[in-house]
Amino acid sequence: MYIHKSTCISPQQTYSEVDLEKTILSVNNILTVVEPKYQDIPLNILRRMGKAVRMGVGAALPLIKDSKNIDGIIIGTANGGMEDCIKFLNQIVQFEEGRLTPTNFVQSTPNAIAAQISITTQNKGYNITHVHRGLAFENALIDAQMLLKENLDFNLLVGGVDEISSYNYNIENLGGWYKEKEIDNTELYKNDSKGTIAGEGVTMFLVNNCKENCFANISAIKTLHTNKTDEVAEQLKLFIADNISPEQKIDLFITGENGDNRLQNYYNICEKVLDKNTGIARFKHFCGEYPTASAFSVWLASQILNNQIIPKHFIKQDRFPQSLSKKTLSDICNNKVERILIYNNYKGQQHSFMLIEK
Amino acid sequence: MEREELKLQLKNHIIKYLNLLEMTPDDIKDDQPLFGDGLGLDSIDSIELIVLLEREYGIKIQDPKDGRKILADINSMLDYILEHRTK
Repeated sequence: MYIHKSTCISPQQTYSEVDLEKTILSVNNILTVVEPKYQDIPLNILRRMGKAVRMGVGAALPLIKDSKNIDGIIIGTANGGMEDCIKFLNQIVQFEEGRLTPTNFVQSTPNAIAAQISITTQNKGYNITHVHRGLAFENALIDAQMLLKENLDFNLLVGGVDEISSYNYNIENLGGWYKEKEIDNTELYKNDSKGTIAGEGVTMFLVNNCKENCFANISAIKTLHTNKTDEVAEQLKLFIADNISPEQKIDLFITGENGDNRLQNYYNICEKVLDKNTGIARFKHFCGEYPTASAFSVWLASQILNNQIIPKHFIKQDRFPQSLSKKTLSDICNNKVERILIYNNYKGQQHSFMLIEK
Repeated sequence: MEREELKLQLKNHIIKYLNLLEMTPDDIKDDQPLFGDGLGLDSIDSIELIVLLEREYGIKIQDPKDGRKILADINSMLDYILEHRTK
């Protein structure tokens, strides 16, 4: 499955002029997206959109605008428009199930994002939303992968979308998933304590079976539900054996390490599976933790493969002391980066491996 | 409440309920049609306005035909609110 175009709205400068060097700091352990001006969305429609829908449509339209045929829209989102959903539920209580406004309801369902993209672009193709929490994006990719096997000439829009609402932030915070003390995202991996920082974002990809002029190739995906570290390591070994031949090597291992010391063992054990000379990078100090953050890692991998440059703040420094003064990946990995393995973990229960190649 | 005071309050409610980005009460003219070529509102907005009337002024519009006349512009909404409000 080849990526031909992508857009990313994140807490960093990733939308129009991509700047991966500069890190925008978190505030109160939250990384909030830098929203662009949505010039492609008519104002009359924009004013009704909740944040997740607005970001989703805003990221999708530039990709669809220049493409002749989009045969399917496949979105992964754990929560969809949570803010509007809670507004609507509160209204049901406040107004005793009467006097309810339609807008919050329309915007609150997870499939509102894919639906609005479809309505805005008059697209009548396949339209589906996957909501498997921390594997929502991966399941969207697997769906796209299967669809492309059946329809060799299809062009598909695949994306991952999640927003922070005050409601889901508070619930996750009470559940102990965020740091108790305020930290900077730049210090995320140095803080040996439970919890992480909250994030949000949207990443969209235009994919098909055409290798020519592609940005990157998502060549394999595997998802797993378990809380056993040994099982994760075993499955990673199998994934590598199934998808990478002995003469091939993994140039870079991108992990979803998020500073939560309860999850560190999963990452440690996976790092040990790989060759000790494999480069390791992390990304959640840049986008925060959210259920579809793995979509950001795929976007980052495609940027790295395309530009062969990665700012050093992504590199896990204790593994590469020699990389501190070096900028390009070829310096760090001693050759051109052609193969990136991503491992992400959501709350120690949902795991995914993705292989991204040039 | 004086008509002018009520008018300002109504325009602020409309801006809030319909999330009219970057609009001020002065941007909504009293005799400007709310739907179609005027303010450009649509059928979903009409439901929002009906909910607004019920929540803020205790007015229930039962017949959609009445709604068309009442929601024509700010003046027609004001006339109806002044005559039928229960709160």
